[in-house]
Amino acid sequence: MIKKNFPNGANMANLFKSVKRLLKRKFTLDEQKDHQSGPEKREHRKDQAEDWEKELTKSKDYQKSYYFNQKSGKKFTLTYLSTLVEEKVMDNNAVPPLLEGEFHHIDDVKKLLPLADVELSSSFKDIPEKLLKGSVMLTLEGDKVFAFISSPKQIVRSVSAPEIEFSVVGPKEAFVEPIDQNINMIRKRLPLKELIIEQFIVGKLSLTKVCVLYIEGVTNKEIINTVKQRISDLDKDEIADSSYFTQMISDNGNSPFPQLLDTERPDRVSSSLVEGKVVILVDGSPHALIGPTSLTEFFNSFEDYFLNWILATFIRLIRLFSVIFSIMVTPLYVAVVTYHYQMIPKDLLITLVTSRRVVPFPPILEVLFLEVTIELLREAGARLPTKVGQTIGIVGGIVLGTASVEAGLTSNVLLILIALAALASFTTPVYQMSNTIRILRFPFLIMAELWGLVGITIAFCFLLTHLLRLTSLGLPFMEPIFPLRLRDFKDALFRLPFKSQAKRPQYLRTDDPIRFSKKKANKKKDIDE
Amino acid sequence: MMQGSIQERLQISPFMAAYVIVSMQIGIGVLGFQRIIAKDAGTDAWISVIGAGLTIHIIVWMMYKICETVNGDILDANVYLFGKIIGNSINTFFIFYYTVTCAGTLGGLYEIIRTWMFQSLSPFWFGAVYLLLGIYIVFGGFRTVAGTSFFGMVIPFYLLFSFGFALQYGDFTNLLPIMDHSFIELVKGGYHMSLSYLGYGILLFFYPFIKNPEQSKKFVHIGLLSTIFIYTALAVITFAYFPLGLLEKSIWATLEMWKIVRLPIIERFEYLGIANWTLIMLPSIALSLWAASRVTKRIFHINQKKSVIFIALVCLVIVVLIPTRERLNVLFNYTAIVGFSLAYIYTPLLYLLLLIKKKVKAE
Repeated sequence: MIKKNFPNGANMANLFKSVKRLLKRKFTLDEQKDHQSGPEKREHRKDQAEDWEKELTKSKDYQKSYYFNQKSGKKFTLTYLSTLVEEKVMDNNAVPPLLEGEFHHIDDVKKLLPLADVELSSSFKDIPEKLLKGSVMLTLEGDKVFAFISSPKQIVRSVSAPEIEFSVVGPKEAFVEPIDQNINMIRKRLPLKELIIEQFIVGKLSLTKVCVLYIEGVTNKEIINTVKQRISDLDKDEIADSSYFTQMISDNGNSPFPQLLDTERPDRVSSSLVEGKVVILVDGSPHALIGPTSLTEFFNSFEDYFLNWILATFIRLIRLFSVIFSIMVTPLYVAVVTYHYQMIPKDLLITLVTSRRVVPFPPILEVLFLEVTIELLREAGARLPTKVGQTIGIVGGIVLGTASVEAGLTSNVLLILIALAALASFTTPVYQMSNTIRILRFPFLIMAELWGLVGITIAFCFLLTHLLRLTSLGLPFMEPIFPLRLRDFKDALFRLPFKSQAKRPQYLRTDDPIRFSKKKANKKKDIDE
Repeated sequence: MMQGSIQERLQISPFMAAYVIVSMQIGIGVLGFQRIIAKDAGTDAWISVIGAGLTIHIIVWMMYKICETVNGDILDANVYLFGKIIGNSINTFFIFYYTVTCAGTLGGLYEIIRTWMFQSLSPFWFGAVYLLLGIYIVFGGFRTVAGTSFFGMVIPFYLLFSFGFALQYGDFTNLLPIMDHSFIELVKGGYHMSLSYLGYGILLFFYPFIKNPEQSKKFVHIGLLSTIFIYTALAVITFAYFPLGLLEKSIWATLEMWKIVRLPIIERFEYLGIANWTLIMLPSIALSLWAASRVTKRIFHINQKKSVIFIALVCLVIVVLIPTRERLNVLFNYTAIVGFSLAYIYTPLLYLLLLIKKKVKAE
């Protein structure tokens, strides 16, 4: 975006301020009157003009000002929506030259405002759109052509630290709502002429700007075309957030699994672009979408790259374990306690029986009772303001938990398991995925209640099949596990050192598979050299 | 001829072919093959296991030759050799074969779960849910089926280590003296063993789905070797662990070996094993459903989605009708004989006929 930056703008502004005030004749005419006085032959044109003005005049921020140019004595008007236009810039930098300068013809605007983004047009159709995008319409008496001076008001939120994908080390900036600011953050990280940013307008009413980002010569063209095709095929009235896109352009809309990775970290976006992925930015959304993605990626935090590879791999494996634990532990409890108590070793059985002795419910009800309580707490905590939310957590967690055990409604062994499972589900770094994991255990619980371990296995098979069938932008979601690509394991379940990351992931089929020369990275020194 | 050509995005990588074949080979048989082979060959049966295994390599080699000659699957080969009418009538037979295989496998799984875990398990509901799963897999296309084969082999792999417990209590002098059985007895043992090995015939159907089939050969043969290894190892461990007299009474010898496993958090390891077997059996059922429905599609040009559902329904009816061990055994015996003759009579015959036809055409 070109910022209006007039030469010695401030000085000029001061100089002309007084003159301007004297000359400015600002009054809003009664529109009807104006039209009636117009010549007959221009009636049709007037009608059209009236059409676009009819709705806008009802709004309080509609402004129409009349001025007289000093040199030519011609009348000109400025029409704009005051809430969308940077009025200060207009008053200080645009209006003075227009009043003082040689303004005979509409083309002169470009000379008078050499640095402004000026567009000439004679079509009435464009007017509302331009005005709503923050342009000022300039009409000159006796001229059919009018000029649009772009001067949109930028209400910018300051860049803050990431809240969802917080990392202890590493960059602390997160995306904000305006798309230009977000692109700015990415461009700064990747000063590349090959970084292409293609814009689409989606949403019949919201006219949301959507940008597709990729690096030409790296990203596979087929993937880019798939994304572009799906975006241009979209038909929706309003796009409020990038998560709308996750639901609408993903391969299987009926899956609980997100098939595009959303992130609020510019560093993650830029490194995904370098890997050869496509990024979608949506105006008004502080989350970028990355695709194609795979299941393992949802369990990778970007912080993994800031740590030594041994630590990062360890943490990734812990996460993997915690996800499996979180889904499986309560169904296993139900299955074993209901059907397969023979599987529990004697010593453990005593502990279990003691804790369950007073509980009046079958295991499934006991588990459902606690699981629903945890979900309630989570939901209540998420809906309430942060400070109140914390209290809820403490009240819910400690008071309810202890009380329900003391009241004999649940066994304390189960309480421990449930709390651990809840804790484990929070280790998922991507929020969308942790939501999915929340609900996955319920079908498992039902199957465990029906057929014990066999039921759990069948539920697992369903889950596995579902994952096998999923694709992300046409590429398999389970990669690199299936189809098995051992080379892609370097940055999936494990994170191997950077020197082994010399090639881009195989499954992305990038145009340029090599990231950096491996020879340099692998140079080894002999002893005492 | 090129009716069976498949788009590349639907194909599987060459080494995945090995998983598909091995997963089809490993089924209910693993849980109780020891008693049957020991009937004739006694503790020398492990030689039969290896011998029967080696014959498979020849058969699979022939299968590859057949598919290479017609550059397609067996359906193409039959049509090429016998003409459209006779060829397709032979092909129709495969629909029945795989439908019954699917039902038999499911019935066997149900039988085990009922005997060992849930006496009151309803065959209808279990079969319905399991077949629904099978349909869901087949709907995903052959890649999903292959994926199931892969996970059906990789995830339960840890079970192999559990036989280490039985190894501790094994007495390998049981195996001595080696070779105290006649050749005929060994061949008889080998015949019974070859029935447990069955399933590799699926290669004839999914051959067009392999990317670079030439490369897949070595992987498939390595896969077959690993099957032989698993069966041989299990046979040896079983013979060491069970006295021959006890083995005669052990229908599910493999399952019984799990009873010795003691871990600090799990007892009765066989429960875990059977639950895992639910996953191991999944590829066999999905592959059978897939093969049956694919043949239907190829011959009758029926939408595969419809035919899968229909075949699954037929399987469900069969499973509900044969809940007893006796009837199941009858089914097993018939499918085994058919499977054996398909592998050891039909395949070599087809190979020879193709060879002759090719020669005749060349001249």
